[in-house]
Amino acid sequence: MESGIFRRNLVIGAVLALIFLLAAIVSFFWTPYDVTQLDIANKLKKPGSQYWFGTDHFGRDIFSMIMVGARTSIAVAIVAVGIGLTVGVPLGLAAAAWRHSLLDELIMRSNDLVFAFPALLIAIMITAVFGPGAVNAIIAIGIFNIPVFARLTRGAALSLWTRDFILAARTAGKNAFRISVEHILPNIVNLLIVQGTIQFSLGILAEAGLSYVGLGAQPPIPSWGRMLAESQTMISFAPHLALFPGFAIVLTVLGLNLFGDGLRDYFDPRLRQQSR
Amino acid sequence: MLRFVLKRLLSLVATLAVASVVIFIAIEVVPGDPASYMLGLNAEPDTVQALRDELGLNASKITRYFQWVGGMVHGDFGTSYTYRTPVSAMIADRIGISLPLALYALLLSTVIAFPAGIIAATRRGSVADVSIMGATQLGVAIPNFWFAMLLVLFFSIQLRWFSAGGFPGWDEGFFAGVKALTLPAVALALPQASILARVMRSSLLDTLGEDFIRTARAKGLTTRQTLWRHALRNALIPVLTIIGLQFSFLLAGAIIIENVFFLPGLGRLIFQAISQRDLIVVESVVMLLVFAVVLVTFLVDVAYAVADPRLRAQR
Amino acid sequence: MTLLTVENLRLSIYDKPVLHDIDFQVSAGQTLGIIGESGSGKSLSALSIMQLLPHGSQVAGSIVFDGEDLLNKTEAQMCDIRGDDIGMVFQEPMTALNPVQTIGQQVAETVIVHQRVSRHESMQIAAQTLEHVELPNDEFPLSRYPHELSGGQRQRVVIAMAIALKPRLLIADEPTTALDVTTQAQVLDLLKRLTHEHNMGLILISHDLGVVADIADHMVIMRHGKVVDSGLTDAIFKELKHPYTQKLYEASGHVPQRVAVSSQAEILLKVDSVSRDYTLPRTGLFSAAKKFRAVNAVSFVIHRGENVGLVGESGCGKSTLARAILGLEKVQAGSISIDGEQVLADMQMPSSLRRKVQVVFQDPYGSFNPRHKVKRLVAEPFHLLENKPGAREYERTIAEVLESVGLASSDGDKYIHEFSGGQRQRIAIARALVIKPKLIVLDEPVSALDVSIRAQILDLLAALSDRYQLSYLFISHDLTVVRSVTDRVLVMKNGNIVEQGDTETVFSDPQHTYTKNLLSSVPVLPGEHH
Repeated sequence: MESGIFRRNLVIGAVLALIFLLAAIVSFFWTPYDVTQLDIANKLKKPGSQYWFGTDHFGRDIFSMIMVGARTSIAVAIVAVGIGLTVGVPLGLAAAAWRHSLLDELIMRSNDLVFAFPALLIAIMITAVFGPGAVNAIIAIGIFNIPVFARLTRGAALSLWTRDFILAARTAGKNAFRISVEHILPNIVNLLIVQGTIQFSLGILAEAGLSYVGLGAQPPIPSWGRMLAESQTMISFAPHLALFPGFAIVLTVLGLNLFGDGLRDYFDPRLRQQSR
Repeated sequence: MLRFVLKRLLSLVATLAVASVVIFIAIEVVPGDPASYMLGLNAEPDTVQALRDELGLNASKITRYFQWVGGMVHGDFGTSYTYRTPVSAMIADRIGISLPLALYALLLSTVIAFPAGIIAATRRGSVADVSIMGATQLGVAIPNFWFAMLLVLFFSIQLRWFSAGGFPGWDEGFFAGVKALTLPAVALALPQASILARVMRSSLLDTLGEDFIRTARAKGLTTRQTLWRHALRNALIPVLTIIGLQFSFLLAGAIIIENVFFLPGLGRLIFQAISQRDLIVVESVVMLLVFAVVLVTFLVDVAYAVADPRLRAQR
Repeated sequence: MTLLTVENLRLSIYDKPVLHDIDFQVSAGQTLGIIGESGSGKSLSALSIMQLLPHGSQVAGSIVFDGEDLLNKTEAQMCDIRGDDIGMVFQEPMTALNPVQTIGQQVAETVIVHQRVSRHESMQIAAQTLEHVELPNDEFPLSRYPHELSGGQRQRVVIAMAIALKPRLLIADEPTTALDVTTQAQVLDLLKRLTHEHNMGLILISHDLGVVADIADHMVIMRHGKVVDSGLTDAIFKELKHPYTQKLYEASGHVPQRVAVSSQAEILLKVDSVSRDYTLPRTGLFSAAKKFRAVNAVSFVIHRGENVGLVGESGCGKSTLARAILGLEKVQAGSISIDGEQVLADMQMPSSLRRKVQVVFQDPYGSFNPRHKVKRLVAEPFHLLENKPGAREYERTIAEVLESVGLASSDGDKYIHEFSGGQRQRIAIARALVIKPKLIVLDEPVSALDVSIRAQILDLLAALSDRYQLSYLFISHDLTVVRSVTDRVLVMKNGNIVEQGDTETVFSDPQHTYTKNLLSSVPVLPGEHH
């Protein structure tokens, strides 16, 4: 009965997320209008049959810009999750394998340190040093993701390390590295996929925030956050400029969150046993 | 208990020390000389040299680090490269907006999230639960600055209940200040409230499944008594962590939201400083925000120990 | 006087029937024992009386307590009855108490919710009740938190909560299952005393025939949600009229057939004055780390083909000793020799030795990586071999070993969740056997299994020992099982072996006071002559 809701979450979430992924891919080959072309004659058109989502103050088509903006958002978020996974997971596994060692202590303390810097502060510092840009946004969000995955991995791995099947592997003479790869990692993959989805959606939100304050992708690359920033002064007479990019962000994030929730419930053995 | 607090305090100081080193090194990497930047392209080398001396830029890096840290401990954050005024005065002006804003938002978020989470958990599967969970699902997905723009569009431009931005200053009276901060605080609080409500719900559901809840029921407590006397305090322990984490999100969020409402807070200060390459200001504000985050983490740890006797005994 | 009459009790959860026409009665001052294996519905019967059933439950029939049918009561009326007229004690004392409240508060709460008394009075009653369950106030003040108490002490607190208002009926659901045998005996004595003093009815639910036999006046035996046998305890054991009762009884005292091992056999394992220290976490920033000696200068031998029991209560060091023998942790003093090869203190055990010892753990659910096929699980110890088997040899060995533990060779392609607890324990034995070790450490191998399955696994172990000349180190807290399967026994307490010798000699004529105490705590089935 309840499992129906999970399945529904999974499907709705996947469909929403796929729509934006598709939009991003298609934008490489085709958009309704060229987003680099200024067309002042057609500026600030209301949404309609010619311009589905209207045009901005330079006469650029909002629909096309949202398609291209999806690229930026998705690319930044995916790479940032990738950084978090590739650095955070091995650190977490190592910390758990040699728990209470100096290494563990070092990893956990540096995690605490990174946690003291919200992604925005990291971005501010990077921008102050290197100037703004999409790459800096990726690094900032990526760094913030590292302790998230490291902690999650360590926590889950620690509880697995107390299980008897790990003891059995140790009596079979396997070392900590081998046990981490053969026994720990496969058992936390589900958890990582779910958290990865969540961090992906958080990454999209963070990217939007950073480019909104000018710390993310720079012109002429369209991004949802900057579209919103530019729309702000015109919000009283051209609210569509603010509405559509906002909807794009909300729907993408909502889709990813629903998908993540659905996955978690699908993976959760307790829930699966109930439905059996 | 005292030992526990001391230990956490020590780790707080250590984190701050390392953070200050990281920030200092990061900013030191920046190419260019603040003195020549301040004086413009046509400045005489002698003048630049004199300014460098005045700013203390000629000392060794290590000396300068300790001067910076030592100054901060005494409330002296150095002199702004752009405005030639003490950074501490600039920060003091701005923090009176950012900090109240973050706290206001934290209060709102907690006040909304607790009842929502409790209702959803205790009436699991009901219409109330499903609607609350649906609303939070949406709340989590909405970027706070966009939500802020929608609030402006609706409450300021359409209804004209609130001004679209700006801050009258606390001199205009407490309520004028609070009113100016209300829309920004709501915009900040809503996404966080959604997260908090979800955590509250799942933590409470976990706790309600514990053995000691069944024990309490076997003693003759009603479901309501069990909830108030046993479930809530235990469920609150993980929620505390989230509240602590949220404070840092709220501070960071406040920096962004200040842009939407043209509030002269730390956010405006730091973005101005970045565009003017006023690095000493950037350095100091970042350090201050890190300090705030670390301090809140410390307070949460202490609250944890108060809520959970097992922790008190352990460490 | 009949206190409680349960008649035609039927229960279904989400339309799935789980209890079928349950009938039983309890009288004041009498004890009813409810016996059953896991899934028999014994706990749900108890929860039906309390009306604390899980969501989706539907109850029919009647539960008449003190002349009134509890099934007709409203929730508010039930709240008045629970804790006041009927108290309940649960299995797991470690989690049954609220971790953030003091024991005084929790016992006093029973009083507060039912009576108009001041906080002070309720605390006084709590203090008296705790004294009554043998937790003296000067040693266990009301301000203690649950985590400061041992399992047995916590169970006393739970009992105090249940009897604070002197209920007329007390339901105890596996109250001693999580406790050590000596603690179990004390808690059972306490329950017996309380029933007698307060003229209270007691329902004692257990999977252990011995526990119930000792204390119950009447017994009900349940299986698959039905009552299969009931009557006076003495009569039930005398007649054994129902086949299931008979089966349970036989399985509880089951002795596997084994060929006797000659005591002149060569020495396989020699543990010589082995000590094992743990470094305790530092208590203060500047205080030196303290050490805790978990195993203290222990010496013993195991001969080829011999089954040696290692008994002791939780925390006595028996698991630590096992880990040292398995080469998982270095020892700090002494030496371990296996098949003539020696490992000294602070040395890592070489794989040439480790491949001669394998292990079977207690928990059939946690012992396997759920993501690997049985084949791969069983093959894991191959890692210790110098010459790893080729593909064909690999398949053949796995098939052989699976068949030798009574499984089909095709089971190798399944995942572990497709097997029951007993089958999993067979797979664990297969994994231990696959590289043909000389010694297998059996760490509580049957403790998590129902009695009937327990008997099958013990038979299998005995047969394998005979067939392969295998030696066992059989670690258990269950003295009855150890007595039935081992040749010699070691008794361990606080890191020391306090007594060792032939199993029959030690059991029939224990020398050390601790052994005597341990043996006298073991619940005995009527008709067993040890």
